[in-house]
Amino acid sequence: MEWLGFVNYAVFMAIFIGIYALLALGLNIQWGYTGLFNAGIAGFFAVGAYTSAILTTPFVEGRVGGFGLPVPVGWLGAMVAAGLIAWPIGKICLRLRSDYLAIATIGVAEIIRLVVKSEGWLTNAARGITNIPRPFGDLAYTMSQLAYLAIVLGVLLAAYLLVERQFASPWGRMMRAIRDNEDAARAMGKDVPYRRLEAFIFGSALMGLGGALFAHFNRTITPEAIDPMVATFLVWIMLILGGSGNNRGAILGVAVVWIIWSMSEIVTDRLPHEYAVKAKYLRVFLIGLMLQVVLRFRPEGLLPEPQKRTHRPDPATSGARPPAASD
Amino acid sequence: MRTFRIAAAAALLGATALAAPAHADVKIGLLGGVSGPIAAMAPAMIDSANLAIKQVNDAGGILGGEKLVGVVGDSACNPQNATDAATKAVNIEGVVAIVGPHCSGAVLAAANSVTIPAGIAIVTPSGTSPEITSLQDNDTVFRTVPSDDYQGRALARTLLERGTKKVAVAYLNNDYGKGLAESFRAEFEEKGGEIAGFAAHEGEKASYRSNLAELASGGADTLVILDYGDGSGLTMLRQALENGFFENFIGADGMKSDAPIKELGAENLETFLASAPVGEKSTSLDAFSKAFSDVGGDPSAIFVTTSYDAAFMLALAIEKAGGDKAKVAASLREISNGEGEPILPGEWAKAKELIAAGKAIDYKGAAGDHNFDEAGDVPGAYALFKVSGTGFEVVSEMK
Repeated sequence: MEWLGFVNYAVFMAIFIGIYALLALGLNIQWGYTGLFNAGIAGFFAVGAYTSAILTTPFVEGRVGGFGLPVPVGWLGAMVAAGLIAWPIGKICLRLRSDYLAIATIGVAEIIRLVVKSEGWLTNAARGITNIPRPFGDLAYTMSQLAYLAIVLGVLLAAYLLVERQFASPWGRMMRAIRDNEDAARAMGKDVPYRRLEAFIFGSALMGLGGALFAHFNRTITPEAIDPMVATFLVWIMLILGGSGNNRGAILGVAVVWIIWSMSEIVTDRLPHEYAVKAKYLRVFLIGLMLQVVLRFRPEGLLPEPQKRTHRPDPATSGARPPAASD
Repeated sequence: MRTFRIAAAAALLGATALAAPAHADVKIGLLGGVSGPIAAMAPAMIDSANLAIKQVNDAGGILGGEKLVGVVGDSACNPQNATDAATKAVNIEGVVAIVGPHCSGAVLAAANSVTIPAGIAIVTPSGTSPEITSLQDNDTVFRTVPSDDYQGRALARTLLERGTKKVAVAYLNNDYGKGLAESFRAEFEEKGGEIAGFAAHEGEKASYRSNLAELASGGADTLVILDYGDGSGLTMLRQALENGFFENFIGADGMKSDAPIKELGAENLETFLASAPVGEKSTSLDAFSKAFSDVGGDPSAIFVTTSYDAAFMLALAIEKAGGDKAKVAASLREISNGEGEPILPGEWAKAKELIAAGKAIDYKGAAGDHNFDEAGDVPGAYALFKVSGTGFEVVSEMK
């Protein structure tokens, strides 16, 4: 039965990679294509996860909902809610330049986290929401995981194709123009604040969807899941490592980081016990080191942003800006 | 692509490392928050679980003399890492049962997405959220630590009995602090006490003076701190003492840590009391304390007794179930239901003989008798502790 264990583990990793890939795609819309430094991924992740949880769980005393709605409604609701929350935030914060925007979004994510932890009537506070239905959750272990993987992959594929299509369109070129030279884009008559808001909302909605898929997979969502370390900075590392501005790179980055993160523990478990515990801390270091190495030797990421997509052979503007460098 | 190749190489390395599992061993998972917010507490808890494993192996091993092996996984106190660690433990390491994870959110996620579907029994030594009680778990999720509901209520009754009628409550804003605080308030007010201040605070802040000043404005001279003594609870206690906001301090099991004594000095903590779970049969606790001290552990560290019990009981259950994963959960109830020959911590050889002879055994743990109720919970046995010298000593039992 050994192989079945490998299958279960591989499927589990694939599900997680799929969920994090949605977060990375959302961030790629914001940072990779529009240059918005959103350091509050965890906040939108939480909004999505909790919205879907409230919509789909059976009724309970003591908090809003559950409304017992079908799961797809919950997922749509998660995207809408994350987008709606992103709208006023973007409206206010997007006027800030990149590093100030990062600070503002960190603050927003913390506010959302504290609301989630404190408002018992809405989110059941620190205890979290349980009994979230998982589609095909009644099947046996392996089958249930496989079914969920199929759903996650379907959702991810749809998101990937839509985002790719969007970027191949004039809209995508306009966004890159805004990112690379805001003044020029403005001079061309583009409504820069409105376009940036669009990208912020689209990206946040995808993050909300990722949160919803996560909550339904675990059948539970607790405030511990929206720790900035695992829900914000890990996603940043994945995107930067994979290659911001490239959707395939984003997904590859997620896969590489998660596989190394997860499998390194199996390797360290082969060490004698006293080192095995210490090596757990080393894994955290390993991820940081990986980011440093990539930034030093390959700042554009594993799969860099494709530069030849547009038809303009203009060396003056298409060029020197490495996507990873923060301005 | 250089990094990608390194990644692929690392993955392959992982795969080859997997390919050589030792079949003779019986494995149990020890999932704990090695990294993350409870990193300070986790190593001692894992050590005490390993003590149980060592005792089993020293006394002839498990089943037909096989070695019991603990596989440590890092659940990091969050669902992402907990499900990952549980998946690896169950599928790659092939564990028969799991001790942990440590934090309630991690328990809920790991149980729901991994161990319940896989039918693996888990026993958490420190997941105290009342939500764990209501899991749809096919009777596979247990805990050796009482739900926060029990402790909060017991603490409220004890304080009222001691004549404290008016308190302020400061609690850490997580499932542990909130669960305790709410059950404490419900019981305290119901029995005629007055809550003069009730506020949550976030962990790891540099100053809690404004929180304390506000709590003190209610006029109570006793502060109930429901927090961890090696984290923000210590900061709060220090600042309350320095500024004289309150005279008396009450903590729960999280505050019964050595950190306040080391940092603040026993002479400043004469008005500090903490409740914590204790074994009803003190001989059990003594047996554990001696064994744990002998291997260099600190028996008064938080959750070490529950961790030890969880590991030892799982070993007994695995023995009883003949190593069959599917029967471990049911056996766990059989080895500790109040009927049969009492087994104390460390009495592995005796237990093994009795199980082989088909006799009923009843484990009396270091942290209590652990007779599970229908939800897999245990009722708490608590005592109130005061600071004495470099450690804690019991003031009174709590009912």
